[in-house]
Amino acid sequence: MPAYHSTFPVDPQADRMVGNVVLLPLRTNFRGPAYQANSDYDIIDECLDLFRANSFFKNFEIKSPADRALIYGILFVNECLSQLRPNTSYNEALKLLTNVALNDFSIPGTPGFPLNNVYSVPVQSHSEMDLLKTYIQQFRQELASRLLERLYRDSQEKPSKFWLAFTRRRFMNKSL
Amino acid sequence: MSYLNNPAIVMDNGTGLTKLGFAGNDSPSWVFPTAIATAQRSTTKQGGSGSGAGQSQGSGNPYFGNSTSATSFNSLASAALLSNNLAGKRGTEDLDFYIGNEALAASQGPSYSLSYPIRHGQVENWDHMERFWENSIFKYLRTEPEDHFFLLTEPPLNPPENREQVAEIFFESFNCAGLYIAVQAVLALAASWTSSKVVDRSLTGTVIDSGDGVTHVIPVAEGYVIGSAIKNIPIAGRDITLFIQSLLRERGEEDTTLRTAERIKQEYCYVCSDIVKEFNKFDRDPQKFAQFIVENSEKTKRKVIDVGYERFLAPEIFFNPEIASSDFLTPLPTVVDQTIQACPIDVRKGLYNNIVLSGGSTMFKDFGRRLQRDLKGIVNNRIALSEHLSGTKSTGVDVQVISHRRQRNAVWFGGSLLAQTAEFKSYCHTKQDYEEIGPEIVRNFSLFNMV
Ligand SMILES: Nc1ncnc2c1ncn2[C@@H]1O[C@H](COP(=O)(O)OP(=O)(O)OP(=O)(O)O)[C@@H](O)[C@H]1O
Ligand SMILES: [Mg+2]
Repeated sequence: MPAYHSTFPVDPQADRMVGNVVLLPLRTNFRGPAYQANSDYDIIDECLDLFRANSFFKNFEIKSPADRALIYGILFVNECLSQLRPNTSYNEALKLLTNVALNDFSIPGTPGFPLNNVYSVPVQSHSEMDLLKTYIQQFRQELASRLLERLYRDSQEKPSKFWLAFTRRRFMNKSL
Repeated sequence: MSYLNNPAIVMDNGTGLTKLGFAGNDSPSWVFPTAIATAQRSTTKQGGSGSGAGQSQGSGNPYFGNSTSATSFNSLASAALLSNNLAGKRGTEDLDFYIGNEALAASQGPSYSLSYPIRHGQVENWDHMERFWENSIFKYLRTEPEDHFFLLTEPPLNPPENREQVAEIFFESFNCAGLYIAVQAVLALAASWTSSKVVDRSLTGTVIDSGDGVTHVIPVAEGYVIGSAIKNIPIAGRDITLFIQSLLRERGEEDTTLRTAERIKQEYCYVCSDIVKEFNKFDRDPQKFAQFIVENSEKTKRKVIDVGYERFLAPEIFFNPEIASSDFLTPLPTVVDQTIQACPIDVRKGLYNNIVLSGGSTMFKDFGRRLQRDLKGIVNNRIALSEHLSGTKSTGVDVQVISHRRQRNAVWFGGSLLAQTAEFKSYCHTKQDYEEIGPEIVRNFSLFNMV
């Protein structure tokens, strides 16, 4: 059994795409271009569900555009964890992760993005690149916020050490 | 001729643990590390002086308790080592070495060095091995070898020269009455006959023997090992322990010794059906997390070690080696399938429907169930594909993995079953045979038909 794939079906003709990246609907209150998800399980939940298992895998074969969203989400969770210490409180973590979500981040197709060999986007189109950037920002904010819920489920004082232990694992040997 | 009535002695010397006892019993009388501590250079012997030769070896001596670990000993208290004065005729010698748990204890001091005479199932140091056997016979079993037949075990593909070495030691140094050397996998097959799932007592099947150092997948057809198809997997007990240790370290637990990791492995780990689902179960049910307490020997200090996802992730490395290794990536069920596919077509059915587990590292809960499910998946996919290509319907392949009560020491137990039969002694080579023909006599043993 290799690493886990996204279960969200994608139809590149019908779904919203920027290049080979799909803009899946999200269940979120953060502002941005994503459509509201009409089921109560969205790609953000899936990223959180598969993060721990997939963190152990170096090999991953992309089978659908949704897998690209999954990879991004898993690497982002890892980035969030690397900001935290065993004694970071919820309030501190909220500030730290809000910053991480909003701070300068590289988007697919631009120099500095670690997975440009598997993401292909129309870099010359301003409007499409702008849509992608705002979508990713919304995605990051929602993921950071739901990650916080999981990390601080048992205590407001410190994050789960069982989650924090994944900081040093690298899905696909990559980091954002 | 007392050997005719005495029970045969069954010895299974594994890479990690030696199992020692008498034929006819359900379990070995002693299980201890295959380790020997020898005196370094000319230092005088320590420790053994306190207790006399007449001391009983029952439960009173902590070193005689059974082990589940080759490298650590559960109660390394400050008890004095047993004297090496041997019983019986050899009682006057005072030998400068210890074996088993006593060896682990002795090697904590400065005057002894520890070594493991068996590597990857084969004897590496014959001098140490001879001394190890000598102590096993005179100090543990306390018997006279001329009064007993012996059944010893060997790994698959053991070179015949190694058998001759064994014969020389047992007939010439120990003067034993008779000897049989059996292939471990064949004994493991015989051991599975105690399972209610096994209906015909055949010696055809695939043995998965997983101990401390390696995991072997060994196809056996009518008692003969199909040597060309044997496969080894570089994942076994020690690798699982090391993986647990790395997880404990990543989490910053207070005690991350191998000893702690190994005990967590044996007491808390199990095989799950799907790791993502299992992570979610831990989220929903905090009871799944556990705590392991480590106390120092004076019981004055206590460390509490949290036990988490390693409970199911550790044995998962058999099924998903990528989790722990970057160079060996083939899951165990795939290796089993490849092994059977490399055998002659007319025995494959028998190999798929009698897959027998053996050894300490197959003891994880639901190990057999998961192996059976994954292997069935592989086989069914292939059948579906060939039905699709040929347009004909297949009769199907029955995949059955056998778990049973004697699995942990299956090799020893199979030996005990064989060696208690009336015919056993007629299959052995005797001291007399050896003297007439010479060591090459042990190159071949007839297989017996025990049904
Ligand atoms: N209940 C258990 N659960 C998991 N592992 C166990 C259990 N009991 C023992 N082990 C492990 O089994 C291993 C020892 O198994 P075994 O005695 O079959 O090996 P061996 O015969 O010494 O080695 P080999 O057959 O490779 O030469 C050790 O790694 C030990 O930690
Ligand atoms: Mg063994």
